[in-house]
Amino acid sequence: MASNIPGTQEAREVLKKHKIVIAGVGETEQGKIPDRSSFHFLSQASKLAIEDAGIKKTDVDGLVTAFSLVEHTFMHCTTFADYFGMKPKFFSSVAVGGATAVWMAAEAAMAIASGQAEVVLCVRGDNTLSGISSSGMLALIREMCHGEFEFPYGLTTPGGYALAAQRYLHDFGATREQLAAVAVTMRKHAALKENAMNKDPLTIEEVMSSRVIAEPLTKYDCSIISDGGAAFIVTTEEKAKELGIENDLAYLLGMGQGYSHQYMTTLENLDQIYNAINLSGQKAFQTAGLGVDDVDLAYLYDCFTITVLLELEGLGFVPKGEGGSFALEGRMEIGKDLPVNTHGGLLSQAHLGAMHHVVEATLQLRGDAGPRQVGDANVALVHGNGGIVSAHSTILLGKEPLS
Amino acid sequence: MSEEKTYNKPLPDFRPETKPYWEGTKNHAMVLPRSKETGKFFFYPRAMSPGDDMSEDIEWVKASGKGKVWTYAIHHMGPSKAYKGDPPYVVALIELEEGVKMMSNVIDVDVNDVHVGMEVEVVYDDVTDEVTLPKFKPAQ
Repeated sequence: MASNIPGTQEAREVLKKHKIVIAGVGETEQGKIPDRSSFHFLSQASKLAIEDAGIKKTDVDGLVTAFSLVEHTFMHCTTFADYFGMKPKFFSSVAVGGATAVWMAAEAAMAIASGQAEVVLCVRGDNTLSGISSSGMLALIREMCHGEFEFPYGLTTPGGYALAAQRYLHDFGATREQLAAVAVTMRKHAALKENAMNKDPLTIEEVMSSRVIAEPLTKYDCSIISDGGAAFIVTTEEKAKELGIENDLAYLLGMGQGYSHQYMTTLENLDQIYNAINLSGQKAFQTAGLGVDDVDLAYLYDCFTITVLLELEGLGFVPKGEGGSFALEGRMEIGKDLPVNTHGGLLSQAHLGAMHHVVEATLQLRGDAGPRQVGDANVALVHGNGGIVSAHSTILLGKEPLS
Repeated sequence: MSEEKTYNKPLPDFRPETKPYWEGTKNHAMVLPRSKETGKFFFYPRAMSPGDDMSEDIEWVKASGKGKVWTYAIHHMGPSKAYKGDPPYVVALIELEEGVKMMSNVIDVDVNDVHVGMEVEVVYDDVTDEVTLPKFKPAQ
């Protein structure tokens, strides 16, 4: 689809001119950490990213945060600025569910390109596992579905994704085994990630025989809930040099969004989802002047196993309906065709939206991914998904700037 | 039945523009909104047609109450304690004869018999004195 999406060439010129980079990253420990508040995690992650960049807190003049499922505030960015003790010249809270982290990077880039800030801290943290109440959890489900026409029927968040999964199995004759294979690969990768929450080996049989949550999805088809924080710092190549940042830089090569539906009720068919994912990806690809074959590493939002298959296919890595066999053949593993979520993803490392996806993509491009390092990794794609495969965002990061 | 009804599950958070729909279900009838300008049904009900017409001239049309399961999820866990004892239950997207989809439960069925394409028809569940939820059962 979509030859020459309007705006992508202009976007390319902007990114070429400014050479936007991710220059520092930070991750706290992840897991069940009951003695830390949401803003504590945000502060720790911010400090780690600032230290990783080797800059001072006062060098940061922009702030992009997200939202908290525990601390409710409708001015999240400035609430955190107050807690952390900073006076940003640019501030914004991005709130598009799981599409947030990826779009935080884009938001920072747009702020920088329009002269609003030079060094933007993007941070997210939450004590979701320890801090969320059962009413908070219900409120979260309420956010995902229509309060009047869906919520009264007892839909859960896994149930929403199960609706997509069941239709996917029907349309393509895919199998539960294929879904399970996604979880198995994520677990293999998590075993190599120091702060991953779940590292024990997992088999397809274990996924399929684990507790059924919402058929066709079982416990291990569903992502984990965790406490923790992560942050990254967006600036320009020029400013990074001026500040003496020594990290290898991850260059922003392209970005895009795509929207399908908010409520499953208004979804016409799976193609609507594929088209939204594809538009998001194609905007990024056309801006970067790259295609799927140029991608060495993919970071795909994996709130549920089905999400990964829809993204693999929607982005064009494999034809529609073939994501399942790609997963089952182990082709998403480190060392294989397309390493996906080398850090273990939301299914096994931790759940902080796609924050860790962005951090890991950066670490890989820097060559700082330790035992998970993929050789010769030049281009990474990161894709976020919010709602029930509703709202999509994609960025492409590279070792070299656009030329 | 003299049994006192207590219903602890979430009830619809009504909006002014959806009143005809819920009045319909209360009377055990399904009415769906349609733009007079384009003649197109839409669902969920809104005050303005979501089509390019942006029309507020909306008519409520009696629906057949028949449709097919477009997809479904067998819930083995409910969203809250209020659902204790209910699982497994089916949440489905029903493609109505009028062409729009509606989320609902498929009831009066062995959950393992539910399938994509299954023909279903509406039944009315008077969950409180004020609220009736349309649900679906296998078509006769």
